[in-house]
Amino acid sequence: MLAYLRLTLICWLIYLAITANLEVANLVVGLLIGLAIALILKPMSQALSLRRLPGALFNLAKYAIWLSIDIIRNGIRVARIVLDPKLPIRPGIIAIQAGMKSELGVALSAHAITVTPGEQVVEIGDDGVMYTHCLDAIASAEGAEEAQRKRRAMLESIFE
Amino acid sequence: MESLGYLIATLAILVGTFFSVVGIIGLVRLPDVYSRMHATGKVSTFGVVLLTVAAVFVTPLAWSKALVLIALLILVGPVVSHAISSASYRLGIPMKQAVRDDLAGKRVKAPSPPIQPARVERAE
Repeated sequence: MLAYLRLTLICWLIYLAITANLEVANLVVGLLIGLAIALILKPMSQALSLRRLPGALFNLAKYAIWLSIDIIRNGIRVARIVLDPKLPIRPGIIAIQAGMKSELGVALSAHAITVTPGEQVVEIGDDGVMYTHCLDAIASAEGAEEAQRKRRAMLESIFE
Repeated sequence: MESLGYLIATLAILVGTFFSVVGIIGLVRLPDVYSRMHATGKVSTFGVVLLTVAAVFVTPLAWSKALVLIALLILVGPVVSHAISSASYRLGIPMKQAVRDDLAGKRVKAPSPPIQPARVERAE
């Protein structure tokens, strides 16, 4: 029941954000659409508890800022490689151990790797190994374990 | 206040356009499909997001709508490039100038029914 309400609320807020219109008619339509989506999707009840929500949101914001800095730094690095007349790439696929049990954790780690320019997950193995294609495989392989440890700590602070 | 908005919008347009152009240059210059996905991924993160930010300041686009758009772009962009590169690897498209390949020889989970490796013309 609570899970349905929560999903309805989330869908309602997204609908209001997209339409950017706070008239009463629009509020009602959004609520009905949110309710319909919640009934169709049948949410599972093991999501975030409300008591932990503020902490999780704070950690999510911290993670978003860290990710943005990572994206900008790697974006500049890749731009430099692309614009270099010699095109100094050393492409290759390296294996990075995700070290997380839940599928959501592995998926979000893979998302964080892929969203930064210069690295992208090609395949995920059975045991949560992320096979990552890098533009500069030798440089990326050095920092990969360290970066994944940091990423894992941040993701776990959000979801556990 | 209005001129500050225009300043931010101008900066965002300049940087976003720069990274989009770099992304397309990378698409032309890089050797194979995997490397090229890195370059095009940058267009979708830097290019489109920064142009959306600029649009918030100079067009009637509501900031809340732009926020949802940016969140969806950031969430979905990597999924697309992962899907394309994963499909390429399963089809057996070779990497060029590769220095290492940890995935070589590993059994990739075959989707059902298993797909046959396609014959890929090497454009040399």
